Amino acid sequence: MSYDLNELNEMIEELSRGPRSHAILSKALSVCKDSLLGLSRSGVTIRVKIKANCLRTALENIYKEHDLYFRTMSASDERLREGLIKLYYVFGIDSEGTNIVFEVPVTDGVKVDTISDLFRASDWYELEAHDLVGVEFNGRALRRLVLPDDWPEELYPLRKDVSMDEIKKLYQPQVVSRISELGVEEVVRIPVGPYHPALHEPEYFELYVRGEKVVDARYVGFMVHRGIEKLAESMKYDQVPFLAERICGICGFVHSTSYVQAVEDALGIEVPERAHFIRSIVLEVERLHSHLLWLGVALHLLGYDTGFMHAWRIREKVMVLAELLTGSRKTYGIDLVGGVKKDIDKDKIPKIRETLNQLKKEFKEFVDVATSVPQVRARLTGTGILPRGEARAYSLVGPTARGSGLARDVRKDYTYAAYHYVNFKVPVYTEGDNLARTLVRIDEVFESISIIEQLIDMLPSGPIKAERWEPQPMRLGIGSVEAPRGEVIHVVITDLYGPYRWRVRAPTYQNLQAVPIMLKGVDLADAPLTIASIDPCFSCTDRALIINLKSGNIKTLPLEVISRRRWKDG
Amino acid sequence: MVSNGGRPNLEPLEFNLNVLEEAFSKLKRSIWVFHLNTGSCNGCDIEVLDVLTPYFDVERFGIKLVGSPRHADLILLTGPVTIKTISKVVRAIKAMPRPRLVLALGSCGVGGGIWFNTYATLGGYPNLEKILKEAGVEVDKVVYVPGCPVRPEAIIYGAAVLLGLLQPKSKHRRVTAVES
Repeated sequence: MSYDLNELNEMIEELSRGPRSHAILSKALSVCKDSLLGLSRSGVTIRVKIKANCLRTALENIYKEHDLYFRTMSASDERLREGLIKLYYVFGIDSEGTNIVFEVPVTDGVKVDTISDLFRASDWYELEAHDLVGVEFNGRALRRLVLPDDWPEELYPLRKDVSMDEIKKLYQPQVVSRISELGVEEVVRIPVGPYHPALHEPEYFELYVRGEKVVDARYVGFMVHRGIEKLAESMKYDQVPFLAERICGICGFVHSTSYVQAVEDALGIEVPERAHFIRSIVLEVERLHSHLLWLGVALHLLGYDTGFMHAWRIREKVMVLAELLTGSRKTYGIDLVGGVKKDIDKDKIPKIRETLNQLKKEFKEFVDVATSVPQVRARLTGTGILPRGEARAYSLVGPTARGSGLARDVRKDYTYAAYHYVNFKVPVYTEGDNLARTLVRIDEVFESISIIEQLIDMLPSGPIKAERWEPQPMRLGIGSVEAPRGEVIHVVITDLYGPYRWRVRAPTYQNLQAVPIMLKGVDLADAPLTIASIDPCFSCTDRALIINLKSGNIKTLPLEVISRRRWKDG
Repeated sequence: MVSNGGRPNLEPLEFNLNVLEEAFSKLKRSIWVFHLNTGSCNGCDIEVLDVLTPYFDVERFGIKLVGSPRHADLILLTGPVTIKTISKVVRAIKAMPRPRLVLALGSCGVGGGIWFNTYATLGGYPNLEKILKEAGVEVDKVVYVPGCPVRPEAIIYGAAVLLGLLQPKSKHRRVTAVES
């Protein structure tokens, strides 16, 4: 099927949500009218079905648009239904709140042109699609990212024709020696303490240092791959929120909210207002606890443990508040498709106000002291600089982007739940250093307190979940939430009983790819804080592998030790 | 087999069980703990940190978090043991001096939790125990603390049970799931 130019222009005119989406769609599709397979829109999502050979040409025309960001990409095995694998590239136009989904069918044996040089954030998405679904890409090197190195070739866990039991028969996990793990020959000869997992999360950075300066860094990770997306395919709609919440124990509620929003978007479910308010309140409570946690950990990495202890002392009040609201300190479990499970009683509201007032007072006192300690300020200022241009190229999200001068916030750009009722600022700093990212988070704590206060004042009455809803197969839905660390986005393709394909993208996935840029040129002692400054989910204390290029020495140390040690040349 | 990383292969030390028991009986307070995340969601991990900070403050009992398993009496194991971490987990536990104590925390540590049957995890400490046996690493005592995430009070209680200061709230009984 191909469109002639007039027909195409008319369709674009009809479908676009505003001048920006009109301009971007025209630019992208004018060169591809022969490869276009379909064009449709539902809600804020415009769906473009396009042949694989023209995807790159279309994107080459638009990748420089200033408000166009790469949001996520999902590979879905639809061979049992349509006889092919499909790629869904999700782009967002921030200034308009529009999603553009490029749907690319991939027949067997066809290679898709890479777009990782146009949208640098897409690098890992392509590697992951190769690892888990077996899509081949042209024009780039492919390596294992998610699965272990000894994983059998041609076994793709997210394909529909392999079951969990079969995979477990085909792959037996083994204890491997250090050589094959690192893939470096010399490593064996150097006596190093046993390489053991991180104190808090098993992820690695390899830092290449010359003297005190970090010259390059490499991330070796995906230790926490647990096969969530495959597991969800055997679950029902209302079971998945509980699974989603266990993706991350710090910001789990954003994942379950994002998932239910995606399903609601796909199936057109009307959610009662009160449920939207309750979700927003709990999301902000989660942001409070997460930012306090991060602040404590960041100060701990600087060696300012007094600050660490005080931040966690204040944070305990938020945990008690969360328990009051949801019945649980963490993993709240109150999200359902179409609403929430637990109401907020009237008699809880005075208690919420009291806690918030206390929190505001104590946090102000604490922050005033902590940020005026000269050593803390000196260590934060001018370290780990991330220029605005790089932040834009990598489509960074959350406080990391806002610390580099990009005013991106899903709560404003793609508004959801009850955020359009409240008045709040999006703090933006332009310096791009560790101090900027810290100040963004400190400001956000005050904003969150104010948001919760406004929401409980306006809390409407009424039901808390939709009466009934009907599942329908093969609908596409997108749900995104501003998590404490940045944008979380879930893509769901529906089925009759549960999701057919569910793609989760956490903010760290996007932000982590920019860490090597921040690390280049910083002193080794500032590296731990710089890594932690994006608030990766393995923030607290990680382990790094340090290779001194001059002497070839390799050492492994907990990050907190590095940050307190003077390093001598050679 | 776990490689020794270039170190000369030493003969395993013959353990005198009496010495071990004596050491264990002396271990009543001031235990040093090492926090071993085997691919957990962070929920249990932030609760572990919570017990170390002022509100629960286990340092008043002398419990201290250390940076290396070589210094630790007790490992706080969280997470369902993902396949990518197995080798490192085994090495970390092997590096601990005897008597080796393990506190398996959270639903995941106890039996894999919601991930008990996925392709990318082992399914908690019980399955790791088999691998540890094959690698010749003995663990002297294990206490399971369930919860998702585990409550801070439960972590402290679990540590006290492990040291024999308190009685467990339920008896250990393993039920094997029937695979279809």
